[in-house]
Amino acid sequence: MIEWLFGDAVFAGGHLVFTGAVWVIAVASVATVGALALSLRPLPLRRRAAELGLATIAAGSLVVLAARPVWLAEGERVEPGRTVVLVDASRSMAVAEADGKTRIEHARALLQRFPGAEVYHFGGDLRAGDPVAADLGTTDIGGALQALTRRFAGERLAGIVLVTDGIDRGGLLRETGGERVVDVSGLPPLPGPLTVYQTGAEASVPDLSIVDVQAGSFAFLRAPFTLVVSVESSGLDLEAVPVTLTRNGQPAGSRKVTLDADGRGRAVFEVMPDAPGRFVYEASVPVPATDAVPSNNSMTRAVRVVRDRVRVLQVCGSPSMDQKFLRLFLKEDPGVDLVSFFILRTFSDFGAGYMPEELSLIEFPYQRLFDQELSTFDLVILQNFDYGPYFERDAPRLLSNLAAYVREGGALAFIGGDRSFDLGDYANTALADVLPVALGVPGDSVDPGAFAPVLTESGARHPVTRLDGDSAENRTLWARLPGMDGTNLNLGAAPGAAVLLQHPSLEAAGGPLPVLAVRQVGKGRTLSLSVDSSWRWSFAEAGKGGGNQAYLRFWKSAMRWLVGDPDDQAVTVDVPRENVEPGEVLRVTVRVRDAGFAAVAAANVTGTVTGPEGETPISAPTGSDGAAIFEVPTAVRGAHRVKVVATAADGASLGSAETVYAVVTRDPELDRVVPDGSVLRALAIATQGRYVPPGEWMGALNDPDAGRVVRDRRESPLWSAPILGLIFAVSASASWWLRRRAGRR
Amino acid sequence: MSAWSRRQWLASAAAVVGASAASRPAWAFGDATRMDVAELQLGSGTLSRPNAWTRLLLEVVQTTSVECNPRAFQLEPDDPELFSHPFAVLVGDSALPALSARAREQLVRYLGYGGFLFVDDASGDPKGPFDSSVRSLIASLFPTRPLTVLSADHSVYRSFFLLREPMGRVATHKVLEGVALGSMHPLVYSQDDVSGALDRRADGMDLLPCVPGGEAQRREAVKLGINLALYALTSNYKHDQAHVRRLMEEGRIE
Repeated sequence: MIEWLFGDAVFAGGHLVFTGAVWVIAVASVATVGALALSLRPLPLRRRAAELGLATIAAGSLVVLAARPVWLAEGERVEPGRTVVLVDASRSMAVAEADGKTRIEHARALLQRFPGAEVYHFGGDLRAGDPVAADLGTTDIGGALQALTRRFAGERLAGIVLVTDGIDRGGLLRETGGERVVDVSGLPPLPGPLTVYQTGAEASVPDLSIVDVQAGSFAFLRAPFTLVVSVESSGLDLEAVPVTLTRNGQPAGSRKVTLDADGRGRAVFEVMPDAPGRFVYEASVPVPATDAVPSNNSMTRAVRVVRDRVRVLQVCGSPSMDQKFLRLFLKEDPGVDLVSFFILRTFSDFGAGYMPEELSLIEFPYQRLFDQELSTFDLVILQNFDYGPYFERDAPRLLSNLAAYVREGGALAFIGGDRSFDLGDYANTALADVLPVALGVPGDSVDPGAFAPVLTESGARHPVTRLDGDSAENRTLWARLPGMDGTNLNLGAAPGAAVLLQHPSLEAAGGPLPVLAVRQVGKGRTLSLSVDSSWRWSFAEAGKGGGNQAYLRFWKSAMRWLVGDPDDQAVTVDVPRENVEPGEVLRVTVRVRDAGFAAVAAANVTGTVTGPEGETPISAPTGSDGAAIFEVPTAVRGAHRVKVVATAADGASLGSAETVYAVVTRDPELDRVVPDGSVLRALAIATQGRYVPPGEWMGALNDPDAGRVVRDRRESPLWSAPILGLIFAVSASASWWLRRRAGRR
Repeated sequence: MSAWSRRQWLASAAAVVGASAASRPAWAFGDATRMDVAELQLGSGTLSRPNAWTRLLLEVVQTTSVECNPRAFQLEPDDPELFSHPFAVLVGDSALPALSARAREQLVRYLGYGGFLFVDDASGDPKGPFDSSVRSLIASLFPTRPLTVLSADHSVYRSFFLLREPMGRVATHKVLEGVALGSMHPLVYSQDDVSGALDRRADGMDLLPCVPGGEAQRREAVKLGINLALYALTSNYKHDQAHVRRLMEEGRIE
């Protein structure tokens, strides 16, 4: 009854506070006093005292009500320490053990031993509640413990229980030079004693896997790089395993790896990229019949091969100013690895009367250059070079080598002079078949007249002859350059070639004589320049105060175009990235340009995407920008090859291209499924905790002093308690009765 | 071939300058693309020795694969025509006049963009007025690039012949000096009167005796002249790894 009257307020151990606004209390007080004074003035003193007393009590109760009194009681109590359980819910916990139960099932069974504990599960982050399934994509034990420490900051836990297979991918385990190092230095002080329960026995999972393939995401052309394949075996009686490596599906090597006592081994492959572009390397080991996870027996890596320096072979039949200036340009370009061979003396010079030992000359190693080492060059420059006196009987074979080198992706610059073109007897040779101009001019095949080359329509837009980004300025620059001293003649442009500079008056095959022409031949490119005085674009221009920028830009552009990477071909196919996630939207862009580098609209692009899921056809026309865009499959993990062919509206071939991409090859959680007790033991030692091996039981460490202080605060609003209402009602009613009894209203 | 018969051959060749000396059909696009010599004319103190340069160019044609137009053109240093002749020489025997700013600017541009200048002291006096004025001239052209002695393994000593000592009409200095721009020395200076050893009379006979070595010394001077021409065309080609390795393997250089 008392508690009801006072609104459940407990008066022991508390104190009163008023929560009403001060001005409300003041206004109520003033109004009450004023009202009392006015109402009681005409009464005799004895009656007035009784009535005044009752009215004052009634009015006072109203003022107290306005002051909103609250009874506040505060105190502390200590709750016992909590036990927190962290369960690994990554996908490796779904691996079945020898007893047929998965690791997560073992973990759930363990949870029954900790009734009342707070349960969390983790993969890459910490989540409250029991694990529903082992389906998280990674395992970060350190991250889970850090998140736990933040969550229970200021509280001492009775115990922390960690249930995991120990396969950490969050940084606790580092491999340095083949050594496995457990690094727990990044862990914070834990809020309670740690007990680690390992689920899954190391020897119980029969699994052979490739756990890692180390290779940079890119490599340099013709610079060997190392590809390290790490192999791991558990539960299998293996001493050595063969590791095979493929590049774009083609064999690239094999190694036999001897496994150490822990079942680990490494295969090292020295790989020499011989072409620029994207390549998928796949390492694989055999799949034993009892292998628990066959999907981790292979691993792919996509590597992009780029050029660091362009390797150029400059062969010149006679030292000249043209040769000098081109060599200076090439030699001073840090991006060029130049090998020069100049013919300093011919047979006709042997009669000059000097002994061989007086000379600094060396033999021209033409056999080695054009037979064995040809493929090591990105660009071959034949500058006023006549092959006859040197190649002799080997000429057909060596010229065929050079033509094949071009068709297979090499680049050739063929520069004029009195030993070049038809003066070098190149007509009807294998090399003539890949040149941008036709040879076989009857009679005199040179014209000694000075002339100013004219930029063609193709030349106006082709990257080789683009001295300035502005088309009009480009034409002005070319028109302003010094003229040439004469030219080799030819029979006109070869099929598929683009003429960039032409003679202002001489003709060939019914049109202007090509002076500078380019051609795509197979996978390679050729350029012919039928003059030997392009050096005047540098030296004579400098004499006029103009500098040598035009010369440098021309040859730099020519070199870049000639050795153009796959991205710079007439038909290109490009993917935004080499490695993509499963299910990611991936758009492939195919660009089609003609020999003059103009975008080809309405070209028909067809092709296939070949991957583990089979062959997917693709087909679309190019737009006005010469581009066709395809969305390609990424659902199935593995290497995918895109091949496209572009044809013009009339059916003529415009070229082909291909590239590769890799959908992330497999689940990283399944790269390594063998439980790792070493990590867990090291973790227990570092935290002064306890490690419990799989299949064993030992109680969790418990801190008896753990617990937490809980502060209680209880507020009882007196202003709403019945006592105030009762006081007001009784005193007001009595006051009213006295007034009525006295005959007053 | 004896030295005398060689001079006879050169004398007869001089009579039919150029064309008959070329050892292969003259299919070149024109004389403009062939190597010739520009003799810088600075006025007093400068010598003109066209016969020396004609002889040198004929020797180059006879000995090497280089195509030459065996002529020497006399040009003043501020003549824009200089840029049609990337191989230039300056020969003198006494003090040179100061160059105009325009001439200096053009010479610097000429050498900076690929031209080559051989300066030849014909006085035989290592400390003479020509030498002083040449050093002043070079200092004014390249204030931050001093004239330095070319090392014994410099490309100019192996651009065609392997030379141990550079010699000319005299053999007193026996070194070459030069100014380096990048990996090349576009200006080379000799105080042994190389052009004096090359010069000849109208009948083709040598003009001046070589001292103290006589005809053997002249032969070395001719070889140096050929090396200078080849160096002007091939720069440091003979320092490419392929050449150095092979010459070392054969014991021809150390």
